Amino acid sequence: MLPADCSRRLVAELQGALDACAHRQLQLEQSLRVCRRLLQAWEPTGTWACEPPPEPETNEEDPLPACTPSPQDLKELEFLTQALEKAVRVRRGITKAGERNKAPSLKSRSIVTSPGTTASTRPQSPGQAGGHASDRRPTKGLRQTTVPAKGRPERRLPSVRDRTRAGIGARAPRPGAGLRNQHMAPSAAPQAPEAFTLKEKGHLLRLPAAFRKAASQNSSLWAQLSSMQTSDSMDAAAAKTQFLRNIQTASGGSQPRLSAAEVEAEARRLRKACSLLRLRVREELSAAPMDWMQEYRCLLTLEGLQTMVGQCLQRLQELRAAVVERPPLPCPVGRPPRASPSCGGGAEPTWSPQLLVYSSTQELQTLAALKLRVAVLDQQIHLQKVLMAELLPLVSAAQPEGPSWLTLCRAAHSLLCEGGARVLTILRDEPVD
Amino acid sequence: MRRRRVDPAAGARAGSLPEAIAALSRSLPSGPSPEIFRRAKFDRPEATSALWQLLFRVLSPLPAGNALASIALEVQARLVKSALCSQGYPRLALAQLPEDGSKGSRELLLALSWLLARGPVLEQMLAQTRVPLGDEMTVCQCEALASLGPPAPHMEAEGPVDVRHMQWLMGKLRFRWRQLVSSQQEQCALLSKIHLYTRGCHSDQNLGHLSVTEAEMLRDPEGGQKVSGAGAAQNLDLAYPKGLHFSCTPGMGPRTFWNDLWLVPRLLPGDWAAPLDPGGASACSLLSPLRVLLRTLEHESRRLEAVLAWWRAEPVFWQWMVRKPTHPSPGIPSRSGPQDTVLGTCAPEAPAAASQPTFLPWVPECGDGELELVVRELQTLEEELREAVERRRVAWEAKARGCGRGPEWSAARRASRETVEKELGALQRCWEQDSGPAPAHGPHRLVRREDGATGDRDLRAAELIRTLRSQEACLEAVLRQLQGQCRQELAGLTGALPGLIWIPPPGR
Repeated sequence: MLPADCSRRLVAELQGALDACAHRQLQLEQSLRVCRRLLQAWEPTGTWACEPPPEPETNEEDPLPACTPSPQDLKELEFLTQALEKAVRVRRGITKAGERNKAPSLKSRSIVTSPGTTASTRPQSPGQAGGHASDRRPTKGLRQTTVPAKGRPERRLPSVRDRTRAGIGARAPRPGAGLRNQHMAPSAAPQAPEAFTLKEKGHLLRLPAAFRKAASQNSSLWAQLSSMQTSDSMDAAAAKTQFLRNIQTASGGSQPRLSAAEVEAEARRLRKACSLLRLRVREELSAAPMDWMQEYRCLLTLEGLQTMVGQCLQRLQELRAAVVERPPLPCPVGRPPRASPSCGGGAEPTWSPQLLVYSSTQELQTLAALKLRVAVLDQQIHLQKVLMAELLPLVSAAQPEGPSWLTLCRAAHSLLCEGGARVLTILRDEPVD
Repeated sequence: MRRRRVDPAAGARAGSLPEAIAALSRSLPSGPSPEIFRRAKFDRPEATSALWQLLFRVLSPLPAGNALASIALEVQARLVKSALCSQGYPRLALAQLPEDGSKGSRELLLALSWLLARGPVLEQMLAQTRVPLGDEMTVCQCEALASLGPPAPHMEAEGPVDVRHMQWLMGKLRFRWRQLVSSQQEQCALLSKIHLYTRGCHSDQNLGHLSVTEAEMLRDPEGGQKVSGAGAAQNLDLAYPKGLHFSCTPGMGPRTFWNDLWLVPRLLPGDWAAPLDPGGASACSLLSPLRVLLRTLEHESRRLEAVLAWWRAEPVFWQWMVRKPTHPSPGIPSRSGPQDTVLGTCAPEAPAAASQPTFLPWVPECGDGELELVVRELQTLEEELREAVERRRVAWEAKARGCGRGPEWSAARRASRETVEKELGALQRCWEQDSGPAPAHGPHRLVRREDGATGDRDLRAAELIRTLRSQEACLEAVLRQLQGQCRQELAGLTGALPGLIWIPPPGR
């Protein structure tokens, strides 16, 4: 059994590592759910943007109305839909086409007020969107009726345009034209609605115009920001330094105190120094010098490394003194995440979003796998150090008698030397007297 | 009714000070109105609490949210004091201010200006709250598998624990690592497929294909389909934008546990500057995700414009903070004093050490524990080196006495010394410099291009892979070396016992 405080520390560390992994796993699973759903056939939830080549008369229109739906608009849409239904019903009585797939759409249309009806024949349209003329679009638009009663004013572009055009513009000829097309449409339409999959029709998707506008404005502003940032105005910089100096002198401090960020940066540097030095020392100690010159160089290197280690230790002691001045910290809100030691860190983040370009699935997978591997190695090394600090003293201090000591040794060996992957075997072999 | 001081020297520029302050207040999230700044200059008490809250927002390492805003003013004030102290803020008067928000607005204004002068505060806040439209991957290792916030209290073991429990926990950890690897591989494959299938769709030619966020928005713009079986419609609409953001981080995203917690309220319009729709918070639940996304984009654009305006008008602000007027106007109350600058009116402080703040929540994670480990490592290294050097020095001296002392001998020695110095200098530079060519930092948007063509500011995956491989090799070497060290020590501790045979595990 491990002593209580040691147990607590070790369990806390391991549990922390486990929690971090679990959190990351959760994120990944969430992402996987979304991605999988995107790659399956998209359920028709209503209208979405499978936009035909933009029709000339409606390019300038911004179809997305103001945030809050005006009841006036909704009422108009309802009336329009009802009128169109009626027209279609009349026409249907005349036409000979009686596809089954129209029936569900009619049914859904008659339940205009039910929110979010999904029984529309929308899936048909992508199947035909590819090769068909653009005036097919109004037909489809008229046939789609997922008009929920409340709170959904924004329609995808085709439907809104068509409805408003049909409703507000010339009423009489439009529905007629649309419906005439409808004669042709059903005969050409396939019986079963085709589902939309990203694989086949993904390249037909188009982002909504409002979004495009907002995103391009956003990215151009970011570009402006990053370009202006590099050319900082001279008087502003001078005024800032003047101000900082004034504050410094007004507060009577002789030199600025070390900020927490600087302490952390220094500590990070020293950690890196420590690992580099250790690696180098190992190299030198294990190298077998061939001749006297090499031996001499080896000796000099080791001496140099010794001085450097001494310097680092000294700086570390100073840092510790500076940190210890500050009293220890209860933390009501939460602490910022630990910066990984292998990250260079401290580099100024650039403000505008940058791109990371990859060329194949393989490459992306390799990249992600390597990132994960480095993070895992970081975690493993940290745990290794903690375990070494806790377990080695226990093993050396414990009395070598009794099975509990053997358990401890076995566990220590497994954790410290094999990373917990393998366990050694101890064979008791009493000497025969 | 405000009296404006007429300053002939700055008459031409006097008009741009209100612009500067207005731009500043627009670019700060839920920023105080320009009036607050003016009141603060005259140390009016009513400006104090707004400034405490603003400083709290600025200094908080977590992205803002309604949950943060609900923290009491006193607590916020205390945290602000500690954070400023840990950043090295020199003025001690701030630490002595009362925490109830009754006075000290001028000191707070000074503190805010100090922060603005020292670092790119506004830009950092913008970057923190940037709307990620693409599939983001961070390039550096910050926050990768980061440790979470304070450990859950029920998890802490109370008493002594068997060491085999540690072995079990370690095994569990190894399993989770393997799980992560496989999940991530799958996610990358799916992401790559989505990018492949939607090529040619994006309006921005540079990008070329949709990201998962954008595709998801197209698939389900109304948010009519649930993301993960959420409950009421209210929760759904709030959860969906959250899902939007998290769905797209294949690499180690810059989100930690605490970020997650605050992200959902963050997207509520109530967070953003007042001009747009103050009643937004309640209406948000009725808006579709597309709407929410558009809104946040718009807000961000407004803030970006404000920051740009602030940059243009910045010099005026600094002069306001620092300069001395040539003559005071009679209309101003006498409390301003002869030096009518914001700084000049604050009392100068004696250099005597003031009382330290009571606690510092944001001192870095490398508290005593981390430094301890490093110190111990270096000390053991020092010991080892000392022995080795002594031994070798003695051996060398013995050998060197044997061979001659010709001039070429000393020349050779000098040459060796120089080489060694150069090598060691290079080694030292490795950690002295923070970064050679500044390594990229922060999230990048993933873009798939068959030809792999890149602009000048874009990163290529191949280069990143190279860097990561070298990092991996380095870390593996460190780990192996540590394990070897342990093996030696344990062998030393256990090998001498009779009657026991230690059979190392197979598969080495």
